Amino acid sequence: MKILVVEDDRRASEYLAKGLRELGHTVEQAFDGESGLKAAQTGVNDVLVLDRMLPKLDGLEIVRQLRAAGSTVPILILSALDEVDERVQGLRAGGDDYLAKPYHLEELAARLDALARRQAESGPAGKLRIADLELDSRARKVVRAGRKIDLTTREFQLLEFLMRHTGQVVTRTMILEGVWDYHFDPKTNVIDVHISRLRQAIDKGFESQLLHTVRGAGYTLSEDP
Amino acid sequence: MALVAFARSSIARLALLHGLMLAASMVAVLGGVYLGTSRIIANESDQLITLEAQSLVEDFREKDLDAFVTEIVDRAEDPWVRGGVYELRGPSGDFLAGNVVVLPELVIERGGWAEFDVAVTHGDANASRRIRAHVTALPSGFQLMIGHDVQDRHTFREVMLRSLAWAVLVTLLFGALGGLWLGRRISRTAQAISASAGRIAGGSLGERLPVSGSGDEIDALVMRFNDLLGRVEVLTTTMRAVLDSTAHDLRGHLNRIRGAAQDARHGATSEAQASAADAVLAEIDRLSGTLQGLLRIALAESGTAPLENVDLSAVTADLAEFYLPVAEPGQLRVEIEPDLRVRGHRQLLAQALSNLLDNALKYGHGTPITVTLRRHAGCARLAVSDAGPGIPAEHRELAAVRFGRLPGSSGLPGSGLGLSLVAAVARLHQAQLELGDAGPGLSVVLEIPLERTVAP
Repeated sequence: MKILVVEDDRRASEYLAKGLRELGHTVEQAFDGESGLKAAQTGVNDVLVLDRMLPKLDGLEIVRQLRAAGSTVPILILSALDEVDERVQGLRAGGDDYLAKPYHLEELAARLDALARRQAESGPAGKLRIADLELDSRARKVVRAGRKIDLTTREFQLLEFLMRHTGQVVTRTMILEGVWDYHFDPKTNVIDVHISRLRQAIDKGFESQLLHTVRGAGYTLSEDP
Repeated sequence: MALVAFARSSIARLALLHGLMLAASMVAVLGGVYLGTSRIIANESDQLITLEAQSLVEDFREKDLDAFVTEIVDRAEDPWVRGGVYELRGPSGDFLAGNVVVLPELVIERGGWAEFDVAVTHGDANASRRIRAHVTALPSGFQLMIGHDVQDRHTFREVMLRSLAWAVLVTLLFGALGGLWLGRRISRTAQAISASAGRIAGGSLGERLPVSGSGDEIDALVMRFNDLLGRVEVLTTTMRAVLDSTAHDLRGHLNRIRGAAQDARHGATSEAQASAADAVLAEIDRLSGTLQGLLRIALAESGTAPLENVDLSAVTADLAEFYLPVAEPGQLRVEIEPDLRVRGHRQLLAQALSNLLDNALKYGHGTPITVTLRRHAGCARLAVSDAGPGIPAEHRELAAVRFGRLPGSSGLPGSGLGLSLVAAVARLHQAQLELGDAGPGLSVVLEIPLERTVAP
């Protein structure tokens, strides 16, 4: 995947670019707002990583200009101004996701992955399928290998979220944001417990396991072990 | 309800006080006039009666009885011309002369004075007239009563008393109205200040009170208040700016350090290097967790966090449901009254509730946890309690202080920011926070004012 990173903190940008390249991505870098906007307008990128506060042109302003010009490229806003209200501003300006510094590279990579594929996979809603597991979001029904699986409302939402990101890594904070719509920071391993419950429901007693833990990052729903 | 509230208000007290003061001064002035005048009139007629009695006593001694009786009959002949009434009775109580018959039933006060009403059939005079009389005991058991018509004085007193009563009533009314007007004026200003202070506490620091321009004390007060607001605004924005730039700087540094550590971890060639890098990463994460906690507290305390209409019932239900799988079966008991909406910050409320549930799970040592949310006196009353060891009363204040970790908690993970965030969120929402004894255990109660709903 081709990623444009616009970040004025050169050392942070280098670490980020190096980390993303090691994960197999192509990375282009820009170090101020103006050149960042130019690079975004001229290059073809799968996803943009934009720092919130940039010299010459503010990160949010770049987002506004790109969106005004009709660009639909997914944008992740990176910011040293955490805080839930900054996030709202970033998303309102036309950003697709928001991540506060300091971030985990795994978290950032997982989010970029989700952003890039969201475009490709925004197919008709309704039925989602992976291997022999099928989820019908209209009928709120889950079937695996012809057997109906009973889930609570929240377990259903959690599974739907995972299935919409099939084959991608989803982090714990992505789950909390995507399924519960909260940004607080649970000190206990609550997400892990929810996942293990879901795993009990969908994987227990079946030959192949679909819900996998990705060490140091999060979880993934995939046919490959 | 409104009436009770009004009766308790300072305006009502001021109005009443004002009315009473005016009425009291009215009573003092009119009462003084009345007392003075009535004493002069009373003295005059009493003196006349006394003089007449003295001269008649001498007559009684000097004249024989028949002549004396005739004298009395003469004097009593036309009572309303001279304004006098007489009655003479013999030693055995037999009526000898006079123009009234009152002595047998007359109630005589000390010194021989009495007052009574006499029915009058003469001309078009009043139906009854008041008489003030003196009863003199003559030698040999004779009794002589001499009375004067004091009806005019009596009427004067009645008129005086009636006008006094009216005057008091009217001044009371006008005084109260004046007080009410005065009070309204002061109260309106006080309410404006109070409402404005409330909005400022809620974050609109740019707000100022309107100055009427009359240059009176209230204006002076308002201007002082506005000066104060200006200073508060400058201080708050400065603090916010310092905080933001410091936070921005710290996060930038932490981010670079994390990048370097992650790079080192990735390029580690030995087990020792890898575990060293892991340790650094873990420390960075802990540090950024603490920083984030502090910044959220700062955000809540700055009062600049935007508030919206939040369904607290839904947030509470979400959080309870979120934590349910971590609790033992049956450990978490939840009672939520639906549709309690507050003016609040959804994410910060969720963070606060998450901290409370984290604490209850961590320090409750597996004891039952109760989460209740219900309507209570215009507030949404949110209570989270466990049956663990609780916090001794003397440590409860420390628990809500930043980094205030309690003695004996050093073995447990935690930054010491959990309850101080709850306290900051409580302040942001103008809520009451109370740490109490759940007997046994800790109970944390938050009372958040309910969002005022538009009248149906």
